[in-house]
Amino acid sequence: MNEFKRAKEKYEETPIPEELDGLVRIGIRQGQEQYRRRHGRSFRRSLGTAAACFTVVLAALNLSPTMAAAAADVPVLGGLFQVLTIRSYEKEKDQVYYQVEIPEVDSDADIARRVNAEIQERVDEHVAEMEQMWTEYHDSFMATGGTEEEWAQRSMDVNVAYEVKSQTETTVSFVVDLSQCSFSASQTQYYYNLDLAHDRDITLRDLLGEDWVEICNQSIQGQIDETAPEDNFCFPPEEGGFTTVDETTSFYIRQDGVPVVVFPKYAIAAGAAGVLEFEIRK
Amino acid sequence: MSHVPESQLTTYLVEEQARFYRLAYSYLKNREEALDAVQTAVCKALEKQDSLRDAGAMRTWFCRILVNVCTDQLRHRQRVIPLPTEELDTESYEDPLPGDDFLARRVDALPMELQTVVKLRFYEELSLREIAAVTRCPLSTVKSRLYTGLKKLRISMEGAEY
Repeated sequence: MNEFKRAKEKYEETPIPEELDGLVRIGIRQGQEQYRRRHGRSFRRSLGTAAACFTVVLAALNLSPTMAAAAADVPVLGGLFQVLTIRSYEKEKDQVYYQVEIPEVDSDADIARRVNAEIQERVDEHVAEMEQMWTEYHDSFMATGGTEEEWAQRSMDVNVAYEVKSQTETTVSFVVDLSQCSFSASQTQYYYNLDLAHDRDITLRDLLGEDWVEICNQSIQGQIDETAPEDNFCFPPEEGGFTTVDETTSFYIRQDGVPVVVFPKYAIAAGAAGVLEFEIRK
Repeated sequence: MSHVPESQLTTYLVEEQARFYRLAYSYLKNREEALDAVQTAVCKALEKQDSLRDAGAMRTWFCRILVNVCTDQLRHRQRVIPLPTEELDTESYEDPLPGDDFLARRVDALPMELQTVVKLRFYEELSLREIAAVTRCPLSTVKSRLYTGLKKLRISMEGAEY
């Protein structure tokens, strides 16, 4: 088998990219998270400073019969509103594992209605898109010579989760997380910062004042520059790296009131960096 | 039925990462896609850690996940960009004893099931029994795929079987 000696040598000469280690560690974290979620030790449901939790069984929420309407944890908050799980289900269909927890802001404020409708729409879109992708994948799998037996070993996870970052009597900051894991993995996060008393979104300008853009930019650039070169995956500004924040920049409000700006994976840095967060101090 | 500690699995995944990347790269021939494949496979491994019952089988167990992710990715790619036909046609090589790098290239041009067996056998040096575990095929199928692969590569089969 000497013929293979050279082929094997060539194989072993494959250069190993520097970011591999970072990506392996991210993969480990993601996998651990999924594993824990599936085993019910959901930390996402331990919401903020909820004073108490009780269980409400939600029935007849236009669930298809195959979906189990799971009981939802409802954090009871003082004040004008609460964020609760309006729909929660786990199901398996055609080897797709769904784990879905949809939040709703329970308040009379118009903004709550708007946000709830938007969340519902985004979740429905996400689920429909994943179902379509799975069908297309199945068809191309079969068209390229796959067998039903091999297909049976494939699976996809579709997850919808949310996390309340902070809350006060009248405001709430939370994130809705739509993700997918199959032959590839993807994640989209939507951040909501609401002032229910005044029926409006909270902006970075509200939190930081008129100079909010400069304050954010300085703080973020400072943190990027402080990062050790070996951990710094940020692109240079001219190659799509960080330049400035604007009205569309995502952020959440920490329980101590500090805003944290969030850039999705790939937005300003290589995929190895994952989602990047920067706390902004005045 | 013993449970493999999660820490043992994560240590293994971190330590052997270069191997995984090489194997993924040999399928995908694309740096970014190979990196993605390793990350996805690692994520899946942690998620499905309960299906690993025996620490001794860790390597074949993970190899299977990784090979599946890579072949899935290739299938996914096929519906987007068709591979140039000459790359698929191993018969077009005239030279019966090709030079050094030809062999590596011809291995990559083999049909997927044959490629997997040849790579795992000669690059990763897995035994035929281990390859059977990775591919979830009977040993006899692995053997016949190895023979067919080597025949296509026009290499003598001496010493390949054990």
